[in-house]
Amino acid sequence: MKASIHDTHFVFRRLHSLLGLLPVGGFLIFHLWENSQSRFGQTHYNDQVVGWLQQLNYLTLLEIFLIALPLLFHALYGLVILYNGKSNLSVYPWQGNLRYTLQRFSGIAVLLFLLLHVGWTRIWAIWEPAIKADLFAHMQGLLIQPSVFLLYLTGLLVSVFHLTNGLWSMAISWGVTTSPRAQSICLGICAFLAVLLSAMGVHGMLGFLP
Amino acid sequence: MSEKIQFRIRRQDTPYSPAYWQTFQVPFREGLNVVSALMMIRQNPLTTDGMKVDPVAWEFNCMEEVCGACTMLINHRPMPACSTLVDTLQQPITLEPLSKFPVIRDLMVDRSRMFADLKRVRAWIEIDGAWDIHQGAPRISPEHWRDNYLYSRCMSCGSCLEACPQYGQMLPFVGAAALAAVRLMNNHPTGKYHRKQRLHAIMVEGGLSDCGNAQNCVQVCPKEIPLTTAIGELGRETTVQMLKDLFGSAD
Ligand code: HEM
Ligand code: SF4
Ligand code: FES
Repeated sequence: MKASIHDTHFVFRRLHSLLGLLPVGGFLIFHLWENSQSRFGQTHYNDQVVGWLQQLNYLTLLEIFLIALPLLFHALYGLVILYNGKSNLSVYPWQGNLRYTLQRFSGIAVLLFLLLHVGWTRIWAIWEPAIKADLFAHMQGLLIQPSVFLLYLTGLLVSVFHLTNGLWSMAISWGVTTSPRAQSICLGICAFLAVLLSAMGVHGMLGFLP
Repeated sequence: MSEKIQFRIRRQDTPYSPAYWQTFQVPFREGLNVVSALMMIRQNPLTTDGMKVDPVAWEFNCMEEVCGACTMLINHRPMPACSTLVDTLQQPITLEPLSKFPVIRDLMVDRSRMFADLKRVRAWIEIDGAWDIHQGAPRISPEHWRDNYLYSRCMSCGSCLEACPQYGQMLPFVGAAALAAVRLMNNHPTGKYHRKQRLHAIMVEGGLSDCGNAQNCVQVCPKEIPLTTAIGELGRETTVQMLKDLFGSAD
């Protein structure tokens, strides 16, 4: 019988779950921390934060193998998982069920936001070297528009929810939390982490404003 | 005293015919449960429009919430009709067949998939193999017994599956009941000899990893079985089993 590690279904589900945290979730946390340093001003941000990153050796390889491919797998397989469930929140309006539903909707929202976000920064910069040279000014130009600011705020909150609620669900899937008490303590920790990451993200966004 | 209880019942004559609704009234009495109300309707199948119709078909057996046969959607939630008292319900009381199983007739559904899935996950205990496994009465601690007992109360009513967003007629997931059965059998002193086979049986499409942790199952289970605890415990066991399969291990 094909089972366990010989069963692609099981392995893919576990891989999807693992990649959501490492490296994708890890990158999200790093990314928010990185950009929270926008408050130290244009020169510091461009030279120390972005400059430090851009001088890393093998940066493109790291970007492809640590960010793009894991994210792509998680996102595409996430869409497959989406197809394997049907939310029934209207009949069972409970908070666990709400988070189950939001986990799925936030996945789609994150995907759409990332396409826009990566397009506006990383992809656009391929044609427009000025963006890379002064990322701070570019982000300021974007975030100064209220509609873009609102969009980024939504993208931030939705991503943070998806990661932290995913962490809670991961802890059950991998068997870290089993008892209802452990699961509810874990939920508290994840909620705290959500507030922390959101604050860090908003702080970073505000730092770009003049 | 002429207090009346109104029932809206979803009817369906054959597995393939369209469903339709009918309304019935029965006189209220103290302690009336849904099955006894359905019995009164069966005695006098007269709709509120005064139409004489075929009696409503439904299943029941034990009348004490241990067989699961009477489970139906009562006001849109899965509940055992025998132990659900009418005066705890909002009127008109809506009765529908479970939506995740094929309807046979009216409120009767075909839950054979549940039994097929129990077989699929090897939810039985082999007391004989090519050799005799059973060596005298196996002894377990009272704590162990108490934990296992919780899971042994499952009556295959299907409520947990009805409420699960990952379970459906067109979806492969076996659902909480079969997973909890694996938890029970794997912790039985004789059943544990086939622990690995059961774990392997849920490490496939439709198995444990299809759970999305919505945790509706544990809220609707009429037997209050700690289904999400079982799912977490199996998560841990399959993680360990996966590592054993990957890196090798004696058992
Ligand atoms: C910022 C990027 C993302 C991060 C940090 C992230 C992180 C996570 C984490 C940690 C989980 C928990 C895994 C588990 O429950 O075992 C998860 C689950 C999930 N993710 Fe993502 N994810 C991201 C993007 C996406 C995208 C773009 C989609 C695509 C639509 C998606 C769809 C899903 C789905 C459907 C689940 C639920 C899986 C399940 O319950 O079995 N995610 N994600
Ligand atoms: S686990 Fe509970 S809800 Fe599910 S079939 Fe068994 S008794 Fe019914
Ligand atoms: S008749 Fe057996 S559970 Fe209701």
